[in-house]
Amino acid sequence: MIGVVDYGLSNVGAILNMLKKLGVPALASDRAEALERSEKLILPGVGAFDAAMARLRELDLLAFLERRVRREGVPFLGICLGMQVLAEASAEGGMAGLGWIAGRNVRLRRDGGARVPHMGWSDVALTADEPLFRHLPANSSRFYFVHSYCLEPADPACIVARCGYGGGFVAAVRLDNIRGVQFHPEKSHRFGLALLGNFAARC
Amino acid sequence: MTSAVARPYQVCVRCVMDTSDPAIAFDERGVCNHCRGYDAALARLPPPGERPAALASLLDRIRRRGRGRDYDCVLGLSGGVDSTFLALKAKQWGLRPLAVHFDSGWNSEIAVGNIERTVKRLGFDLITEVCDWPEMRDLQRAYLKASVLDADVPQDHAFIAVLFRAAARAGIGTILSGHNLQTELVLPDDWVHAPGDWINLRAIHRAHGQAPLRRFPVMSLFERLWRERVQGIRFERPLSLIDYDQKTAMAEIAAELGWVYYGGKHWESVFTRFFQTYYLPRKFGIDKRRAHLANLVAAGQVTRDQALAELGRNLGAGDEPADVANYVRKKLGFDEEELARIMAAPRRSHHGFATWDGYRRPLLRLRRLLGGETRAA
Amino acid sequence: MLTRPRLIPCLLLDRDRLVKTVAFRRPRYLGDPLNAARIFNDKAADELMVLDITATDEGRPPNLALIGQLASECFMPLTYGGGIGELTQIRAILRLGVEKVVLGTAAAERPGLLAQAAATFGAQSLCVAIDVRRRLLGGEAVTVRRGRRIIARDAVAWARRLAGEGAGEILLTRIEREGGMQGYDLDLVARVAAAVEIPVIAHGGAGRQEHLAEAILRAGAAGAAAGSLFVYQGRHRAVLLSYVNDADFARLFPPAALPAGSG
Repeated sequence: MIGVVDYGLSNVGAILNMLKKLGVPALASDRAEALERSEKLILPGVGAFDAAMARLRELDLLAFLERRVRREGVPFLGICLGMQVLAEASAEGGMAGLGWIAGRNVRLRRDGGARVPHMGWSDVALTADEPLFRHLPANSSRFYFVHSYCLEPADPACIVARCGYGGGFVAAVRLDNIRGVQFHPEKSHRFGLALLGNFAARC
Repeated sequence: MTSAVARPYQVCVRCVMDTSDPAIAFDERGVCNHCRGYDAALARLPPPGERPAALASLLDRIRRRGRGRDYDCVLGLSGGVDSTFLALKAKQWGLRPLAVHFDSGWNSEIAVGNIERTVKRLGFDLITEVCDWPEMRDLQRAYLKASVLDADVPQDHAFIAVLFRAAARAGIGTILSGHNLQTELVLPDDWVHAPGDWINLRAIHRAHGQAPLRRFPVMSLFERLWRERVQGIRFERPLSLIDYDQKTAMAEIAAELGWVYYGGKHWESVFTRFFQTYYLPRKFGIDKRRAHLANLVAAGQVTRDQALAELGRNLGAGDEPADVANYVRKKLGFDEEELARIMAAPRRSHHGFATWDGYRRPLLRLRRLLGGETRAA
Repeated sequence: MLTRPRLIPCLLLDRDRLVKTVAFRRPRYLGDPLNAARIFNDKAADELMVLDITATDEGRPPNLALIGQLASECFMPLTYGGGIGELTQIRAILRLGVEKVVLGTAAAERPGLLAQAAATFGAQSLCVAIDVRRRLLGGEAVTVRRGRRIIARDAVAWARRLAGEGAGEILLTRIEREGGMQGYDLDLVARVAAAVEIPVIAHGGAGRQEHLAEAILRAGAAGAAAGSLFVYQGRHRAVLLSYVNDADFARLFPPAALPAGSG
């Protein structure tokens, strides 16, 4: 059972639909008690950094996440804003992030005429050996993005995917059981299906 | 449907048909009636040495009937192996087919992709008969609510009607059929209901349908007879006259036409896949693969052991069967509870509704008198 | 690197029936929209657009049940338009998982709606439809209500105005070319694309895959939407859904041709 944290900052429907198509049991909730029995957690999110952290605090989910993910080691996948909150802070807001991955979020660069927000499909270069990307082509995978900020981790060892848009940014990170992807697997058809399938089966 | 009498389980020693066909009969050696039927049908074909000549004259017939017209035959394309292979052969034989696709609203992407690649690479013209989806949905819902065995009759019936009408509209005298002895002869009467039975279709719709059937192609046996005998539209089945091996055929169309396999017989239609992997096995205890594999065993294309191994594999293995059932539910407008009720409802016989039995024998006799085959498709 | 060129199947709905028109007229029945969405999803179409072309005329609100079903089969961005005239409708549609909504007639007949929607939902959720045709006595007309009501005489000025009000992108349709499969009105596309900062999606006229590349590489469109090209096959216009496979995409958009090596 995968628990999708529904803290009101994104449409969990698409994620639930994709998991349903994969035949993976899942539930969405904003309550720790309901999410307690899930063996893996997904944290989605679209919108502003401060709004996300404030909501998580309001819903009393911070302690829950800290325990389940960091102490008890439950596999975790942050999507889009859900990846950005893994960092310590964001240039977008003033609140502190979860701080699970050292680094902060910065605004996307606009090299080569790239526009911000970055909206659309872009190629992503994937690191081999990362179970989340099993069977996905390392150099011709693409995913759907909608974002203006990106995570800059302090330790490059946790980078598992990059995207060249706007001069380049980190598209995915991993630290032990904690993973984050800047793109939207639930909007990335066969690439997203493969990735979520891997998260369910291999992570 | 014959009522299930408790008989001990028995499986044919030669093919793999078993007592899940309630009417199966075994001889003293343990060989079933389907094997004997296959042998008999084989014996009715021209002997192997004469088949090339028989094929040549069949093709000549088609060409002659089609002379002076844009196309000499109609070829139903579903994206499946038989019709795709037939299309390739038609090209090789120099025929000029009009490809006809019947869109029942259930096309899988693989089917659609296969059809596209086939017509593009062979340079065939294509027409599509698009079924009125709300009417098809209403009719399929009616069949499921009626709790009868052959919920795939709506698609099968419409397909044949569409081929005849397309041929008539285009002034074409031949329907080229991929039907073949090697893979499609074995089929217990208790596992299907004749798709041509338009009376049964209308009766089931009358009882359980919610909207009038207006655009849906319903073809009576009268209409069929008219089109065959008066308009002169004939089915021709060349695949039985060649060395049709399904495995080699699949490899050939994959190589020549970029054909992609979709995992199961007739799974070009998502509904048929649901019907064969979910509805039929769970509600009626019938696994149609058994008949198909039995045919292949009888034709010497797979061994009995291979067939038994295949049957041991999970039905619907490959993709996501839950996804298929969910999608079918969604499209037909049933929620989970309603579908569960349908699956649990007691089985009803097609004969609980009006059938063509009263008409059929006299009409078939008439058909024979007018000079034709003894088989009604 | 920029984002990948966008090739967008654009499906037209008459209630719950998929149809295809020619120059906005003579609708021809194509089948079930849900199955079409599923097929395009399986073809890995990068996004899908669905427009209800009779909702506004018939005074019908968007069919949320159908939209919800379509969204559940689309694992790529879905854009919906047709009959949208209220903020509440936009909210409800976006909640169903739809990525963007298209404002057509409402952008002209409900002043203020576009700006309000942009402030509430963000420009990136809002696409505006600009339908252009020739005027009887010469010159061009921007129309709403399926080509029947002229609301402006200069497509570029109108586009600039809507962009200023908060539109996130423009669906630019040349009415006469729709369903004709003879190519887009590249001149129109180029003029509008040059005039605004937001993405312009060319629509109306695609008949060959090369047309898609023309609109993007030559006329500066960010995306190319097509109906007939993706739903018809062959000279009899047989209904058969198709898209652009990876090999054809690479041929149409070779890395060298794309600005700053986008991908």
